[in-house]
Amino acid sequence: MFKQFTEHISGAQGYLLFSLGIFLVFFIVVAILLFRLRKQHVDHMRNLPLKDSHGESLNSYNL
Amino acid sequence: MQPENFYYDNKIVRNFGIATVIWGIIGMTVGLIVAIQLYSPGMNMGNQYTTFGRIRPLHTNAVIFAFVGNAIFMGVYYSLQRLLKARMFSDALSQIHFWGWQLIIVSAVITLPLGLTTSHEYAELEWPIDIAITLIWVVFGINMFGTIFKRRERHLYVAIWFYIATFVTIAVLHIVNSFELPVSAFKSYMVYAGVQDALVQWWYGHNAVAFFLTTPYLGMMYYFLPKMANRPIYSYKLSILHFWALIFIYIWAGPHHLLYTTLPGWAQSLGVAFSIMLLAPSWGGMINGLLTLRGAWDKVRDDVILKFMVVGLTAYGMATFEGPMLSLKQVNAIGHFTDWIIAHVHVGALGWNGFLTFAILYWLIPRIYKTQLYSKKMASFHFWIGTLGILFYAIPMYWAGFTQGLMLKEFTPEGILKYPAFLETTMRILPMHVMRSVGGGLYLLGVIVMAYNLCRTALQGKLVANEPAQAMPLPALSTTGHEETWHRVLERRPIQMMIAALLVILVGTFIELMPTLTISSNIPTIAAVKPYTPLELQGRDLYIREGCSNCHSQTVRPFRSETERYGEYSKAGEFVYDHPFLWGSKRTGPDLAREGGKYGNAWHYNHLMDPRLMSPGSIMPNYDWLLTQNLDTATTAAKIKAMRTLGVPYPEGYEKIANNDLSKQEKEIADNLYNDHIKVKNNKEIVALIAYLQRLGTDIKASKTAAK
Repeated sequence: MFKQFTEHISGAQGYLLFSLGIFLVFFIVVAILLFRLRKQHVDHMRNLPLKDSHGESLNSYNL
Repeated sequence: MQPENFYYDNKIVRNFGIATVIWGIIGMTVGLIVAIQLYSPGMNMGNQYTTFGRIRPLHTNAVIFAFVGNAIFMGVYYSLQRLLKARMFSDALSQIHFWGWQLIIVSAVITLPLGLTTSHEYAELEWPIDIAITLIWVVFGINMFGTIFKRRERHLYVAIWFYIATFVTIAVLHIVNSFELPVSAFKSYMVYAGVQDALVQWWYGHNAVAFFLTTPYLGMMYYFLPKMANRPIYSYKLSILHFWALIFIYIWAGPHHLLYTTLPGWAQSLGVAFSIMLLAPSWGGMINGLLTLRGAWDKVRDDVILKFMVVGLTAYGMATFEGPMLSLKQVNAIGHFTDWIIAHVHVGALGWNGFLTFAILYWLIPRIYKTQLYSKKMASFHFWIGTLGILFYAIPMYWAGFTQGLMLKEFTPEGILKYPAFLETTMRILPMHVMRSVGGGLYLLGVIVMAYNLCRTALQGKLVANEPAQAMPLPALSTTGHEETWHRVLERRPIQMMIAALLVILVGTFIELMPTLTISSNIPTIAAVKPYTPLELQGRDLYIREGCSNCHSQTVRPFRSETERYGEYSKAGEFVYDHPFLWGSKRTGPDLAREGGKYGNAWHYNHLMDPRLMSPGSIMPNYDWLLTQNLDTATTAAKIKAMRTLGVPYPEGYEKIANNDLSKQEKEIADNLYNDHIKVKNNKEIVALIAYLQRLGTDIKASKTAAK
């Protein structure tokens, strides 16, 4: 079924491949950055919303 | 080091919250009215200011920029202060932002019913309002970055990156899609023409969805969902990947709105390829949100706020699965121009934007008023009636879309169209339209109940306008510290973050837009295509004023079902003088690209006066005011001049004599109508509109006749 889709992609193939290539490079760069992040930093960052300095006592206002 | 005391500004959050609810009710009520007009044309209340073509843009602008817009600012102003441990940069800028935005909305409420429109979807507002939007957007940006600069938290949480990307991308989109040449105080012509204008518009249109309806809401999801569930986001690393991949890919997907049109094939293919890839980051975000609730699903059973979030995220997942599917050419061939698209956008708008907004309002209002929600029961009622409303809205629209899409393509065994009359397919789906308005009504009822519930909540509490907070000031960065990764460095540098986001969205923008905008061979010209006569140009502006392109497309796709029904398929060269393009995005009525010469002038006269005289059962409203209003010919010279500035080859000085040609053509049409026993004065608007309709698509026909 996918054959008909790929066959219908007309025009400048190079354009398509070039664009996909850019994305692939970009994606790999982001992935490398992710792997290099320290666990300590990640934990700090993901807890940021829960660490509002004040007003957290309001959390007890459960709906 | 001593901790610093400061106050969060809750009043501005509350104000944006009130605006969200009020404009939400107004925008959805207008939506309900236009939905009813689609099966009961009398609901236009017999006057031009409340007719479908004029108030459908009012509905879309009100729900997108007024309801969702104010909700974004509410969520951003609340979360930004807390994530940065700082009050907003400037109270004065917050006020200017708030009141400026409301004034822009009010100006939309006034100008759109008056028919002052650029006709670009979701960018209909005329040039003075475009300038105001730019200024207020800059005020918002300064206020946001000012707050970021005086923050007490070194690293920017992922929600803030989404806000930064929203700010910078909307700025780029708005500016590029607002290149207009003013003709008068409230009339302008787009600088781009035809296929180029279409490409810019749908690059804008698609990314307005991406960067106004999606990225700010994802940012809010990343802040409010952890707060609501009282647990951190499932994966912070996934959120980084989600962010970069989403903003990179989204910007390319616009051309899937122009499949099978005269846009160069490679640009269409590029749009399709990136639309399919978009599924990955979209679902990454949805999964990240849903998995945040792992281990807390018992809470979902009791907490109506989390219920809203779960349905909202699920709707996001469905809409972002459907988007890539609809961008496959074979699916698009059936779905495009039908109610399927209406269903698709409303799953996103009602489910994702609506339900997230409601969840945030229910969560936030009791907190800033230091009280509890007035009625949990009412909130629960709102959830269920809202969910039911979405189902009653979406299912009939899908059904209507499939039905009409397939009927229009059906041939008899003998090879002729099974339903040659477009109207026949329209009448078949009217029951679905009735059901859809019931769904919309249920959803609106839920919002009204919410408004009451929130009012009572506010009345029983007291607004903590300035909420006290305490945080340590940011210490200076030590230069001898440990080695850091790039991304961690980026997370504390807002300007670099903004530039990085800008570069990422510009890659796709340049590769996709530039060749079509700059290489003339992408738009082959056709010698027979001539500029519009002055009367046709005036008629075209009436077509724009009445919003005809909300229901009628002007582009014939290269399918046998369309060439049989409408005539020869459209060519890029036919639209080179079309500032703006008028291809439309929905066929509530038939395509008009080859309308010229199909019927006589008298047919058009009677049809515009009362469509049901010529097409019994038609749902098109009467345009009887065109019969009585005089055409404003004082603008002709300015219009001709503006068009020449934009490259339309009117001879030098033609603007001085253009009205003579205009009068001549008016007389021809009026005389022709007189032969059919219709008495009409030459200078009535209907004459100009008939002139334009009779011109549509005739250049190609003329060239064929000449060739023979």
